[in-house]
This record gives sequence, structure tokens and C-alpha cells, in this order.
Amino acid sequence: MWRRIVSTHLKSISAVRSCAAPSCRHAVVESTHFSLSTRASSIPAHSSIFSRQIGSSADTAVKKRVEDVMPIATGHEKEELEAELEGRKLDDIDFPEGPFGTKEAPAVVKSYYDMRIVGCPGGEGEDEHDVVWFWLEKGKHFECPVCTQYFKLEVVGPGGPPDGHGDDHH
Amino acid sequence: MIESQRHSYHLVDPSPWPISGSLGALATTVGGVMYMHPFQGGARLLSLGLIFILYTMFVWWRDVLRESTLEGHHTKVVQLGPRYGSILFIVSEVMFFFAFFWASSHSSLAPAVEIGGIWPPKGIEVLDPWEIPFLNTPILPSSGAAVTWAHHAILAGKEKRAVYALVATVLLALVFTGFQGMEYYQAPFTISDSIYGSTFFLATGFHGFHVIIGTLFLIICGIRQYLGHLTKEHHVGFEAAAWYWHFVDVVWLFLFVSIYWWGGI
Repeated sequence: MWRRIVSTHLKSISAVRSCAAPSCRHAVVESTHFSLSTRASSIPAHSSIFSRQIGSSADTAVKKRVEDVMPIATGHEKEELEAELEGRKLDDIDFPEGPFGTKEAPAVVKSYYDMRIVGCPGGEGEDEHDVVWFWLEKGKHFECPVCTQYFKLEVVGPGGPPDGHGDDHH
Repeated sequence: MIESQRHSYHLVDPSPWPISGSLGALATTVGGVMYMHPFQGGARLLSLGLIFILYTMFVWWRDVLRESTLEGHHTKVVQLGPRYGSILFIVSEVMFFFAFFWASSHSSLAPAVEIGGIWPPKGIEVLDPWEIPFLNTPILPSSGAAVTWAHHAILAGKEKRAVYALVATVLLALVFTGFQGMEYYQAPFTISDSIYGSTFFLATGFHGFHVIIGTLFLIICGIRQYLGHLTKEHHVGFEAAAWYWHFVDVVWLFLFVSIYWWGGI
């Protein structure tokens, strides 16, 4: 199952993922993405404590920590809870929103690896078309053959091929 | 997506429990048939199969607890699986009991000439519904109220009180089962006493079986609550036990009205 988001801008882009996921409405916040990408490169269990403390000292308001909400949370449940308390969603990068992509201002799709599958549903209202699926690769722009919407990939993770071939860690 | 795995789902590690459960089911069914026909070793195979199934349930659900509470794999979207699964399972159980109520109604609404054209059949001395069954009727719903009390205690973070409430729930359940057992022992008719005996003991018997399963489930919830597994945000296992318990309660009310009360008039 996939979800599409249509932004309130005049013409819109949507990236569609062939994976079921919960709600889609949210805005992408730049700062949290930087913390996301730096955290991804270090060991999650340890760095999460530090980044949370750094985060809370920078906050002026009283911030709830995971320990206050669910002390025994661990693993992925804890990561999900942390993200919720910080006001971001972990699958943020699956639902990009923005104006219609042009050559001068391409539609930016974030990706953890060097390439990902993207679907273009066209513009707003009458300009919609059947979803055109394609691989969007790092460094290569893509133009939709139906509506000429322009896409660009932004790598926010460790990069590399998405199937993990050539990865010496696993 | 989760940092270390890029999605919120739980891809379960390979496990031997599905195949061991299947083998247990095979042994149970084959052993059961052998037992009911003149084959040697049927009883042994049947018992072995049942023990194997029970063992599989124990280790499988122990793994679920380990993966969820101790390893944190059960994110919000993963929790939907057991949640909806429990509801659908209870719906299937409703269908199961529906069949027994239908069977009872089929025989009682138009009593056959072979049993005297009356219901209860001629010669059957029915249990007085206003004695033990009527006593049991407030006991089980009180147990249901206790489990709701436990739920509210969990939601309020009152961990000790939740344990006490679950203990109360289980005690009431055991009293119910005890009374039913006594009644069964002292009943003037058996399962082989005409269609009345068959429908009575099948319907109430399966209900009793479900009460015992529900009681076991609640005991395990009580142990988990005592160990601190259940939090106010996340206690899907407890909710499933509570739903199952309310279902058992409702079935008893239907049983009392249709089989004990109406069936004895």
C-alpha cells in the first residue's frame, strides 16, 4: 500500500513508497534531519542518550524524556517514542511535500542510500496522471516523461547501494 | 523509519515453534483418531501431541514477550497485529459458540417425538437454574468488573493495585469454575442422556474450557504486571486477556438465559 500527499501549493509533487505506513501529514524540519543523519552513523544505543541531553538543554520548555513516559521502553519502540516526544516522525523522509519540481527548483526527495524508487503522480487536480515509477539516483536528475516534473535526490544517510552489496559491515 | 532498520515493522527471526506446533497438532489428531478406534498407542500419541502443543504455546508466547517487552520490537504499527488478531480470534470464537447455541435451539424449539415431544425431554431432571447457576451469574460479571478495575489501575500507573485487581479477578474466576465443577459432579444427567445432555454439556463444557483458558491468560497477565512488563502506554497482552474475559462473561449470560433458564422451563 502506498500513500500520496498533495500539498496545498499550486502544483505539487509526491514521492510514493510501496510500503504501508501510518499517517502522512507533517513538515520536514531541517535541524532534526541533521541530527538524524549524524546519529545514523554512530551506534544508536549510546548516542541517543547524549543527543537527547543536548536537545533538552537547548530547550527552554520542560521536555518529557522517554523515561518519564515509558521507563522500560527499549529498542525500536524506544526510538519511536523518542521521535514522537521530539515532535518528528521516523518515516519523515517517505512523504516529501513541496511545489511542482522544475529544472531551476527540482523536487527534492531524501534518501538514506544512493538511490531510491520514486513515483510521480503529476501536478494538482487536472494535471494528475497515472503514477510513473522510476529509480532516482544520486547525482542524476530525472524528468517525468508525462508531466516533465524534475526530481533530484538528496542523500541523508550513509549512502551506498540500497541492497547492501559491497557493504563490508553485514 | 527506525534508525537501525529503516522501517517500523518487525521482521521476526527464524523460529522452530511453527513447525513444532504443527507436529504437535499432527500427533494430537492422529492420536485422537487412533484412540477413538481400535488402534494401539492412540492414547499415548494423543497425550504426547497435546503436551507438545501446550509446550509450543508456552515457548512461542515467551518469545513474543521477549521480542516485545525485552527487545522493544513492538512499535505502534506492530501492535496493531496482535490487537486486530485478538479481536478477530474472539469473533471466530463467537462463531464457534453460535454453532452450539444453534444446536441447542434446533433440538429444543421443536422437540422430537423420540424424547416425548417436550423440552426438557421426558425423564430428564434438569438443574435448578436458581441455585448454583444463579449464584454463578453475578460471580463471572464481578470478575469482569475486577478486570476493568485492573485496567484502570494500569492506565493510572498504580502498579500494585493492578496486581491486586488481577488477583481478585482470578479468584472470582476460580470460584466460578469450582462451582461449575461441583454442579457437573452432582448433576443427575450425563452427556449421553439424550440430546439434552449432549447440548447441555457441550455448550457449558466448552464455555468452562474457555473460562479456564481465560483464567490462565489472566494469571499470566498478573505475573507480568507484577514483574513490571505492562506500562500505561503499552499493554496489548492485557487488553487481549480482558477482551477475551468479557467475551467469556457474555457467553455465560447467554448460556444462563437460553440453556439453564429457558431450557429448563
